[in-house]
Amino acid sequence: MTEKNPDKGYVAILGWSPNAIDAIDRFDRRYVIVAPPWAEDYARANDIPFIAWDFDRLNERSHEIAHMLKDEGCDVAIPLFEETVEWAGAINSVLLDNPRLLGQSMLFRDKSLMKRRAQLAGIRVGIFEEADNHADVVRFLKRVNQTLLKLEGDPDDPIHFKAFDKAGCLGHRTIRTVEDVDSISGDEFPALLESHLDGWEFAVEAWIKNGKIQFLNISEYVTLGYSVFVPATPELESWRPRIEAEINKLIKAFDIDFGFIHPEYFVTNDGTMYFGEVAYRPPGFNALELIERAYGFNGYQGIVLAFDPKTTQEELEAFFPTPVEDATGHAGCFGAYPRRRVVERMEVPEDTARDPYFEFHELAQPMQQKVTKRTAFGTHWGLVYFFGEDPHRLRDLLKAQEEVDFYV
Amino acid sequence: MADTDQVAEADRLAATLEGPLEHLRQARPFAKPRFQAQVLDVVGRLLRAPGGIEKLHLLAPRMDAAGLFAGSDWDAPANLLPGLVSGTLEHGAPASVSAEAVSLLRLLAVARGETEHPGIHAAAARRFLTQVLALNMRRFFGATDEAARAAGTQQTATDALFRYLADHVGFQDVLGELVDEIWRILRQRPIQVAPAKDMIAQIAITLSERGGEVGDRRLGADRLVSALFGPTAACMGDPGLERYRERLAMMDETDLRHEAQGLARAMHDTGLVSDYHAAFLLWVLDTEHDGMIADTLGLGSTGRDCLQQHRGLVIELIQRAVRPETAQALYGLSLLLDRGILHHGPIAPAFRRQLELAPCPAVAERLSVAGLHVAQPADLLLAGCIQVLGQPLGVGQGANPTCQSARAIAMWGQNDPDYLLHLVAQAARMDTVLMHFEGRAINSGALPEGLAIGAPLDADPVSVVLVPHLDRIYAEMGRLCADRNDDPHIWINPEFHGWWVGRVCAVAVDVPTGALAGAEDFIARFHMAYHPDYNGGEPVIHPQPAGVAATDAAGRFVGWHAITILRVAPDREGEMRVYFYNPNNDSGQDWGKGAVVSTHGAGERFGEASLPFETFASRLYLFHEDGMRPAPACRPSQDILACVTQEARKTWAAGRQEISGEAISRLAATEQPA
Repeated sequence: MTEKNPDKGYVAILGWSPNAIDAIDRFDRRYVIVAPPWAEDYARANDIPFIAWDFDRLNERSHEIAHMLKDEGCDVAIPLFEETVEWAGAINSVLLDNPRLLGQSMLFRDKSLMKRRAQLAGIRVGIFEEADNHADVVRFLKRVNQTLLKLEGDPDDPIHFKAFDKAGCLGHRTIRTVEDVDSISGDEFPALLESHLDGWEFAVEAWIKNGKIQFLNISEYVTLGYSVFVPATPELESWRPRIEAEINKLIKAFDIDFGFIHPEYFVTNDGTMYFGEVAYRPPGFNALELIERAYGFNGYQGIVLAFDPKTTQEELEAFFPTPVEDATGHAGCFGAYPRRRVVERMEVPEDTARDPYFEFHELAQPMQQKVTKRTAFGTHWGLVYFFGEDPHRLRDLLKAQEEVDFYV
Repeated sequence: MADTDQVAEADRLAATLEGPLEHLRQARPFAKPRFQAQVLDVVGRLLRAPGGIEKLHLLAPRMDAAGLFAGSDWDAPANLLPGLVSGTLEHGAPASVSAEAVSLLRLLAVARGETEHPGIHAAAARRFLTQVLALNMRRFFGATDEAARAAGTQQTATDALFRYLADHVGFQDVLGELVDEIWRILRQRPIQVAPAKDMIAQIAITLSERGGEVGDRRLGADRLVSALFGPTAACMGDPGLERYRERLAMMDETDLRHEAQGLARAMHDTGLVSDYHAAFLLWVLDTEHDGMIADTLGLGSTGRDCLQQHRGLVIELIQRAVRPETAQALYGLSLLLDRGILHHGPIAPAFRRQLELAPCPAVAERLSVAGLHVAQPADLLLAGCIQVLGQPLGVGQGANPTCQSARAIAMWGQNDPDYLLHLVAQAARMDTVLMHFEGRAINSGALPEGLAIGAPLDADPVSVVLVPHLDRIYAEMGRLCADRNDDPHIWINPEFHGWWVGRVCAVAVDVPTGALAGAEDFIARFHMAYHPDYNGGEPVIHPQPAGVAATDAAGRFVGWHAITILRVAPDREGEMRVYFYNPNNDSGQDWGKGAVVSTHGAGERFGEASLPFETFASRLYLFHEDGMRPAPACRPSQDILACVTQEARKTWAAGRQEISGEAISRLAATEQPA
C-alpha cells in the first residue's frame, strides 16, 4: 500500500472493481472498499481494507452503513457502479451532513426524472416518454414517425429504448420495427423511450470540485456501443467551449458541488446540442483507461481527488493536465462481437494485427460456438485497444473493425 | 526495404509493450492478471516478428520482475518441469505460449549471468534449458527454413525460439552436454528415471536421423541408447517384444546365459532397465529356465544366497511387480537381494503381507494416476516397495516441498526397512498413518494438509502413498512445539525418524532473532561428534538427520534444507569428506563460494553426495549427537574453527547478527533434567 497522507480525506469506495482498487491503493488517500460479502475473503487475502455490504436493496439499513462509515472516520463515499449511486447519495448526506445529496442521487438513478430535471433547467433534450409495457413502445414508435410525416411504407425512423436503471449501454436497444418491440423481455420495463437524432454522438467525462469543472474530456464515439476514442477529433474539440457551457448548465441543474459525471450528448446536423443522459459514476467501456493512455493520469485517482473534501485547488491543478494539448496521442478501443452465427475461435484479423496503431486486445476465446443475437449495446465479447497520433486515421481504423471478424 | 520494415516492427512492438508492462509493474498483486494478459498479447506478436526474440530476451527479466508470472507455476522456476515445455509451446493457449517463451528467455538471461533471480541460480537455469533443448532436439537440429519462418506460423516461431536458445545457451554440442548430464543424473541412481528415459529416447531419434553430424561424443550416447533399447545382440535394432520372444525361443542355453549376463551388465552400468530385460526375466520364469534368475538379476554372492533362501517369495515378487511397464523394479529387486535384507527376520513376512495387500480405493486411485495406469495399483506399490528398499538413496522429493518426508522414507528404507513396510501397509489399507510425539498419538487422517497440497504425482509409489501423511504429521509435530522458541527439529527429528537419532541437538541459529549463535563452538562440537580425528575414530553408525543452509551458486541464502549424514570418511586423496543424502532429485548442486557438491568420483556410493568435511561444516546449521558418551578430549584448532565460521559468514549467514559464546545445544525432552 502506498504511504497514506493522514491530512487528506478517508474515502469509502462503493462497489468491487479490481482496477479501481488497484489505482486507489497506489494513491495517497486512505480508503476502504464497501462491497458485497462474496468479495470479503479475497479482500482479506490481498490486504484490501474492506467492509462487507449487500447493495441489493436500498432500505432502512442505508442509515446503518452510513453511520458505520461515519464511525470509521470516512469523509466521503464514492460510487463505482450505477447500483451504488443512490447508496453513495444516502451515505454522503450523512457523512457530509447534507440531506440534499440523497435527492440528487435519485435524479441520477431515474432516467426519466433526470431528463425532466434537465428540461426544466432549460437544457435541450429529444422527445422522450416513459414506457411500462410493449404497447407503450409501439405507440411511441408510431407517433414519432407520424410527427416526422412518414408515409405508409416508408422505413420508420428508429427510436431508442433504455431500461430505467441499467448502466450505460447495457439496457440500450434501438427499435426500428414493431417486431423489434416483441424481442424486449418483460423485466426490462419500466424504460425510457427517446426519439432518434441523426448526428454526432459523444460522451463527456468531467471531474468536478467546488461546482467547477476541473478536467473535461470529450470521448468521441465512432459507432455507439462499438468504439470510442480520446481526445476527440479537432472538429469535435472545436465545440469544447459550448460543451463546457452545457456541462455548467448540468452542474447547476443537478446542483453538483463535487464528484465525477459522465453525460452523453448529440450534436445534430444543424449544430444543436441535445442532452442524452448523465451518470454520477465512472463510465463503462474503459474510458478512464483510454484517458490514462492519452494523458497519463489515472482517472480513479482523479475521482478520489474530486470527491475528497480535503483536496486543495493546488492539488487539483497539479494533478490534471491541460486538455488536448497535453495528450501524447489518441487512444481508442473497439468492442468486438462475433459477426457469424457459429464461431470456433478468436483470431485477430491480419490487417488489424499488423496495424501500427493496434496495441493489444482483451478478447476471450469463445465459450460456446453458437452466437446469440446481439440484443443490447455494450454486450461485446472484449475490447481491442488502439493508440496513435492521427485522430482521423484512428477513427477510420476503429470504423473498419466493424467490418472484420475477430471470431471465426 | 522490407527488412527495415520488419526490424521496425519489432521495435514498434517493443515500444507498445512498455505501456502494459509499466501497468503490470505498478499494479498490486490482485490487479496483475489483467495486465499480464495485455503484456502476453503483445509478446505473442513480438515472438513472431523478425528480431522479436532478441527483444524479448532483453525484456524478459523486467517482465518477470514486474510480476508477469505472479500467481502461476512459472513464478517458481526451480520447480518447472522441462518435459512440459514443448507441450505448452505447441498446444497451449496463446497466452500460455507467450508466458512459456518469456519464461525460457528469462532463464536464458539468468543462465548467462545477465540477470539474477531469487528463485533460481545460473547453473540450475542452464541445466533446465539444457534439458528442455535435449527433449526438443529435433526442433533445432532441423534445417532452418527461412521461408517457413517468414510465414510466421506458430510452429516456425517455436522452432526459432528453440534455435535461439540453443545458440545462446552457449554450448557447441548440445548432445554431448546432454549425454554428460544424463550420466551425471544416472550415477546418482534415482528411482524416478522417466525424465532420463525421455531424453535418451530423443537422443536415439536424433542419432538415427543425423548420427553422422554428431562426431566423437557419440560413444556415451550409444551406451545410453543401447542400455535402454537394445542392450544385447538379441534385441539389437529394437525389434519389439513379440519378435524378441521369438528370438529367445530359438536360443540355446549358452546364448540365453549370455543374454542374461548382457542385460544385467547394461543394467548395472546405467541403472536403467530395458523393457527387453523385464520381458526376458518373465520369459525365463514362464519357460522354466529358473536357473537363469540370478544371472538375469546380475546378483552377487549375497544376492544369490538370498535368492536361494527365499526363492518362492522372489518369484512371486517378480511375477507381480516386474513387467516391461515397471521394468525398473527389476533393478530394485537385484539391489534389494544384494543388500541381504531378506536375511533380516521381519522382511520376508512383511513382503508376504505386501503381496496380499489391497490398497483402499483412495490410495489405489492415487497410485493409478501417478503410475499412469500401467499396472494394478497393488502391483505398482509392490514394485515401489522393492525399489525403495533396493535403492533407498534413490528416493527424490519430486517438485514437492517435502524434503523431510522424502528424507524419512530414504532413511527408513536404508536403516529400518521393516518399519517402512509397516507404514506403507498402514497407509495403503487405511489411508492414514499413526505416529506418536512425546506420547501423544498423531493420526494423519485427522490432520489438515501440510506443505504439500494433495499427493505428489511425480514421485515413486511409496512416496505417493506415504508423503501426504508424513507431511501432515511433520507439520503437526511442528505445531506442537511451535511455542518452544527454539528450532522445532530438536524435538521432531528423534520422534519422527527413530531411536537412533541423537537426542542432543546443536543449532547454529538463534531461532527468535535469526542470528548466528555460538558459531565456532557449533563447528567444534560438530567435529567432535562426527570427525574421526576428533571423536576417537568412531564412524557414523546410523544415518543422522541434519540441516543445511541451502545457498545458490552465488552463495546466497535460499532456505533451510533437510539432509541425512551417512558417512564420514577419507576419499582416495586422503581428504576427509562427509557423505550425505539429499532428498532433492539431483544432489549435484553448486552451493557457491567453492562448495560444489560432488556425486561421483570422490568415493561416493550410488545416491550419495559429498563435500570436504570443513566445507560441509560451513553450511551446516543443525545436527544431532548422542550426548551419552564421554566428552572427546580433542578439539579442533582455533584456526580451523575461525576459517570454517568465516565461510559461513561469507555465505548463508551474511547479514545475520551474531551471538558469541557457546553453541545452542538442547536435549530433546519436554523437561530439561535438573
